[in-house]
Amino acid sequence: MSLIRVENLRYRYPRQSALALDGVSFTVEPGEFVGIVGPNKAGKSTLCQALVGLVPHFYKGAIGGKVEVAGLDVHTTSVGEVSRRAGLVFQSPFTQMSGAKFSVYEEVAFGLERAGIPRDEMIRRIEWSLRLLGLWDLRDRSPFALSGGQMQRLAIASVLVMQPEVLILDEPTSQLDPAGTSEVFAAVGDLCRQGMAVVMAEHKVDRIAARADKVLVLNRGRVLAWGPPGEVFSLDGLEEHGVAVPAVTRAARELGWREQGGTYPVTVEAAARIGGAALGRDQG
Amino acid sequence: MQFTLFVPGDSWMHRLDPMSKVLLTVIGLVCTFLLPGHLAPALLLAASLVLLASAGVLRRSTAVFAGVSLIAVTFFVVQGLVYAGNQHPALAIGPVTFYREGLLLGLRLTLRLYNILASSLILILTNRPSDLVESLMRRGLPSRFGYVIIAVLQIIPTMVEASARITDAQRSRGMETEGSLWVRLRAFIPLMGPLVTSSLIATEERALALEVRGFASNRRLTFLHEESIPGYAWPVRIAALAVLALGIAGRVMLS
Repeated sequence: MSLIRVENLRYRYPRQSALALDGVSFTVEPGEFVGIVGPNKAGKSTLCQALVGLVPHFYKGAIGGKVEVAGLDVHTTSVGEVSRRAGLVFQSPFTQMSGAKFSVYEEVAFGLERAGIPRDEMIRRIEWSLRLLGLWDLRDRSPFALSGGQMQRLAIASVLVMQPEVLILDEPTSQLDPAGTSEVFAAVGDLCRQGMAVVMAEHKVDRIAARADKVLVLNRGRVLAWGPPGEVFSLDGLEEHGVAVPAVTRAARELGWREQGGTYPVTVEAAARIGGAALGRDQG
Repeated sequence: MQFTLFVPGDSWMHRLDPMSKVLLTVIGLVCTFLLPGHLAPALLLAASLVLLASAGVLRRSTAVFAGVSLIAVTFFVVQGLVYAGNQHPALAIGPVTFYREGLLLGLRLTLRLYNILASSLILILTNRPSDLVESLMRRGLPSRFGYVIIAVLQIIPTMVEASARITDAQRSRGMETEGSLWVRLRAFIPLMGPLVTSSLIATEERALALEVRGFASNRRLTFLHEESIPGYAWPVRIAALAVLALGIAGRVMLS
């Protein structure tokens, strides 16, 4: 059974005439990692918020279509109820801190206390999530004394600790350095192997192309492409719409280096393999 | 980082549970207005000072006491000079005469002022505000109220930081922010726009983030920290109540 099922989702913010989302459909299976890419204002954040019900419950506005997450009909279920099954991490880490806790360790506990999780279970889960995000050594620091990247990882840990079935991340690596970004993507990989479905809106297309199982390309609220990264980024005309394409794929397209299925490679490793063979042939 | 006068420590008073400290403070305040004369309030003040000293916060208290000493001085001066019941001159400095009745009233008022302060400081200096709020939440304070109280205490320093950042940015673009009072006042107005706007935006984002972290959950709360009530909490509470009973008895018998 699909963990996320979105059917012909259409949404308009209040006092706006244009649709923010226009006929979006896709499904996500357990253990799948889906990347959402597209230019600014494409509707990535709106879609992320629609998956937990903030759109439309918090923003109001006009909505159509169907969103089903972990078996719940998001449009008729409260945000609180959906959030127990699907966690959402926002872009700005600073505003995700509760502001009512004095250490990293306590901050992670905030949601657990609200959910009424027993204390032993709380302590076990907090340690698990802090270690997963590499924050265990910082557990006694004040959340507001952390760097942007550390705070961003804390925001992810605070949501993960709720052990949702679905994890939605809205540009979670915007303040992270390359090493921190790698850690987040590695953690996401671990979670997918444990059966969690992960949806991530992200500008770093190279990372998405290398790690995601499927990619959803949005532009002005419409789905421009949906499928495995190799197929999606091999499509013609993406860049005319302002959609970023991995540098490797662009280079391979120029050079005419194709995979056997006719698509272009999306990772350096794949490109090197194909290119090496091509150059080898040329030389031979 | 928190907007509080709390002095961290590990004294018996720090380890005492917040509700007992609330009881001590409330009884101190009640007794302040209950006890007649000079001796009893002076004893009460002495007792509060002993408690503050045993908690290791006497120096911090002295700073507060010194801060309000000006008010105490005005009590003596004003009452000593113009109290309606003034009859017996006590002290003459040049043309100014202080009267005995007025000075005694000044003393009573001063004792009252310092008793209020000392009782309150027991709670304020030895108790982390969030611990008190958590204790109240365990006893049924709605968690939304609890959150607001704790968050406000923590948001103030971050707003101070934000305003410093905005001022720095404005100064780096050539705005005058230092100098005479007038220049400083003028610099205050362009600070408010960005500060208020950014706070409002942050508030909406935080509301969203809290919503998805289950803030509105109707479930029964659990707490990461176990409530620790030391073994001496009940003796302390009973002793405090005994003091209150003594005070009431004394008051009733004297009147």
